Amino acid sequence: MIAQSEILQRIRQLPTLPATVARLSALLRDERSEVADFEAVIRPDPALSANLLRIVNSAYFGLRCKAESVRQALALLGLRRTCEVAAAAGFAPVLPARLPGYEVEAYTFWLHCVAVAVLSERLSAEVGLKRPELTFTAGLLHDVGKLAIGAFVANSAAEIRDSMRGRGLSFVAAEREALGVDHTGVGESVARAWSLPEVVADVIRWHHAPSEASAGAARDLVELVHVADALAHALGLGADAGELARQVDPSAKAKLGIASRRLESVAGASLEEIREMARLFAPPVGVSP
Amino acid sequence: MSTLTVDISDLKVSADPQDLIVTYALGSCIAVMVHDPIRLAGGMIHYMLPLSETSPEKARERPAMFADTGIPLLFQTMYKLGCRKQDLVVKVAGGGALYDDKGLFNIGKRNYTILRKMFWKSGVIIHAEDVGGAKSRTTRLFVGSGRCTVSSQGEEIEL
Repeated sequence: MIAQSEILQRIRQLPTLPATVARLSALLRDERSEVADFEAVIRPDPALSANLLRIVNSAYFGLRCKAESVRQALALLGLRRTCEVAAAAGFAPVLPARLPGYEVEAYTFWLHCVAVAVLSERLSAEVGLKRPELTFTAGLLHDVGKLAIGAFVANSAAEIRDSMRGRGLSFVAAEREALGVDHTGVGESVARAWSLPEVVADVIRWHHAPSEASAGAARDLVELVHVADALAHALGLGADAGELARQVDPSAKAKLGIASRRLESVAGASLEEIREMARLFAPPVGVSP
Repeated sequence: MSTLTVDISDLKVSADPQDLIVTYALGSCIAVMVHDPIRLAGGMIHYMLPLSETSPEKARERPAMFADTGIPLLFQTMYKLGCRKQDLVVKVAGGGALYDDKGLFNIGKRNYTILRKMFWKSGVIIHAEDVGGAKSRTTRLFVGSGRCTVSSQGEEIEL
């Protein structure tokens, strides 16, 4: 078991997500916000401004005209997309070269984060759900807890592996049994430390157990990310020490009401976008594809 | 010697006996490895989904995404290297599944079923396989020797 104080210390040691990500997410949810408010948050952040222009002008977005200012980028990308770009551009540099315990390189972990973000969005469209706010950001950040407890997981690696393979526990359950906490609970604390919006914290907390989410939690979004996470792992997008040792919540599946063929079609349609986005925002460390 | 990495929904072939073909993180996806011991050539596909009918457009762009468009393409590409069907040694790995999943997410099982059907119809024999389970696999094919390995959960087996 790890003491709460040790975990909090780890969280404090993590590089923080730029404050702009949380501020932009809050603006996006505020109906009174205007483009100028977004511009006022982005412009003072030179790294984000530069990244935004680089990304908006990349072949991926295929825009006909070139954006030269933050305002133009906002106009061309739209507010929602700008916030997604900010989240991805802010999150990538926070990743270490390798996540201890989970035995995964930065790029593979990154690919998984992007895959879950993109698949969550595509799934919501496929099942005709009105896209919950911050779907992309929540999908992208669902595993942040892994950044904080990797070292503890590494210390208990043998025990976790034995419970997983010997007793058929899911990775997250084995993690909880060995450490007293798991990456979802710790992830919620990271979300608080980074001042992330409540819905993103809910997704991080409940993405392995959507049916246990508290009544006020963003249940639709939690379920979407839960299913997208399982799909990403099934497809091998970001394999780590947890491998395929996970369960899919039957009620989340049922509620989403998606047939296997359509799930496969979503997977097929998303692969290129996942690869492109992962490449575009690739973390500065780690092995590139 | 070069190492050819096969991405998800991709295939690679080689007639250089020094080459190694590898693919990583096969979850529910399947790798089919073919080797010609006479021509000393090898090929590997890492397909993701069983049937192209779910996305015909994708199938045109990326035939190696699907079993029904990708596997024939792998064999045709081998024939172009001068290989003959009767000489090819065929091995299969992957098709894993999440815990307890018998329905929606059983992509691995569907991937394997369609492969068996296709091979049965065209008279292809699977010489060795390592499929199923909650495993993520990495497979390697040594083009010269035809040696084929599958590593998973810290262990490596010969196929």
